[in-house]
Amino acid sequence: MAADLKFAKTHEWVRPESGGVVTVGISSYAVEALTDLVFMQLPAVGRKVKAGESFGEIESVKAVSDLYAPISGEIVEVNSALPGKLETLGKDPYGEGWVARIKPDNPAEMDGLLDRTSYDALVGSQPH
Amino acid sequence: MNTLTIWWDGAADGPTNMAADECLAAEAERRGSLVLRFYGWSDTTISLGGFQKIGDARQVEAIRGVPLVRRPSGGGAIVHGSDLTYAAAVPKSHPWGASPQVFYDALHGAMVEVLAELGIRAWPHPAGGSTPVSSPKRAPAVTVDRPLHDEAQFFCFDRRASGDLVMAGPAEGTSSKIMGSAQRRLASVVLQHGSLLLRRNTTVGNPACHPAVADLVVGLEVPDEAVLSLAWGRRIARGLGAMLREEDGPFLRGMESEVAAQASRFREEWWTARR
Repeated sequence: MAADLKFAKTHEWVRPESGGVVTVGISSYAVEALTDLVFMQLPAVGRKVKAGESFGEIESVKAVSDLYAPISGEIVEVNSALPGKLETLGKDPYGEGWVARIKPDNPAEMDGLLDRTSYDALVGSQPH
Repeated sequence: MNTLTIWWDGAADGPTNMAADECLAAEAERRGSLVLRFYGWSDTTISLGGFQKIGDARQVEAIRGVPLVRRPSGGGAIVHGSDLTYAAAVPKSHPWGASPQVFYDALHGAMVEVLAELGIRAWPHPAGGSTPVSSPKRAPAVTVDRPLHDEAQFFCFDRRASGDLVMAGPAEGTSSKIMGSAQRRLASVVLQHGSLLLRRNTTVGNPACHPAVADLVVGLEVPDEAVLSLAWGRRIARGLGAMLREEDGPFLRGMESEVAAQASRFREEWWTARR
């Protein structure tokens, strides 16, 4: 897992890219917890989202989970191939399994997200 | 001490019930504990899983004209009206909120014990299990854990997932699903819907009409919803090591305006036909 990732408590990851956009995805912990993914709905390109706002949905066997925007901004790109091959989320959640790219309204919001060590501590404390 | 709070609500229409369940999820978050609501339906109603296609529902002749509501939770379509319907909500920080299967298994396992006390043998469908279903016309003979999302698996009770409750079917060597649940996993709370088929719903025809507990037990009277739900609540509380708190009135009391505002979304076409 790349060290430059930041995480939301709702298990989305964020990676800064060149050009001032960030890539967003779902952590391997969340993907493993959901198991057997069957459907996914991506946000529309051009949509403005607020941090913490639901911007997509994913269905595993009998559970629908919201995907929450980890940072405020505009959706500038989505991984439109992902809903057709959801197994990518399990195989490569931090690479080919990316979900969307966001142009942040305020890049400083990244500072409020968890670094890898803090995120690992969070998921390590989750009940099993 | 942990507390499990239970409410018994009367019959309401689909949008009101779905809205009340969303308010129930907020209540679980506020209390930081498991909450459980049992309720009825003012008319036979189809609840559609959050990701099911409205076009699939409209192709099923047997449910044409029956009120339809889209759940926030996943899973397949359910015909309500002769079942025991529940909604349970638990914070994700709770031991039962961390992963989907834990919550299914905890509640379904408690129901297995309640039914056993009544002389009714039911068991959880195993992961990867492949017991032939009771009616070859209803679904493929080989059941799978992963919903196929084809016409044969439009209804929840034609699907099998790990932990679904089944009973021996009418024909030797077959089984019938009698209880299924589905979840909506929100940022910090999990809402789980579920249904125990108590009696066959004769207001709809095949393939919407499924064998129920009353069809599958011989010489036993199926208990009424109130008795069953209280016994189940006690079992759940025992499994949790929690104190059971039965509320005097319905969950909806005092929340009518909040629920009504929330229900408007579930009445609107953009929500019902969103997929």
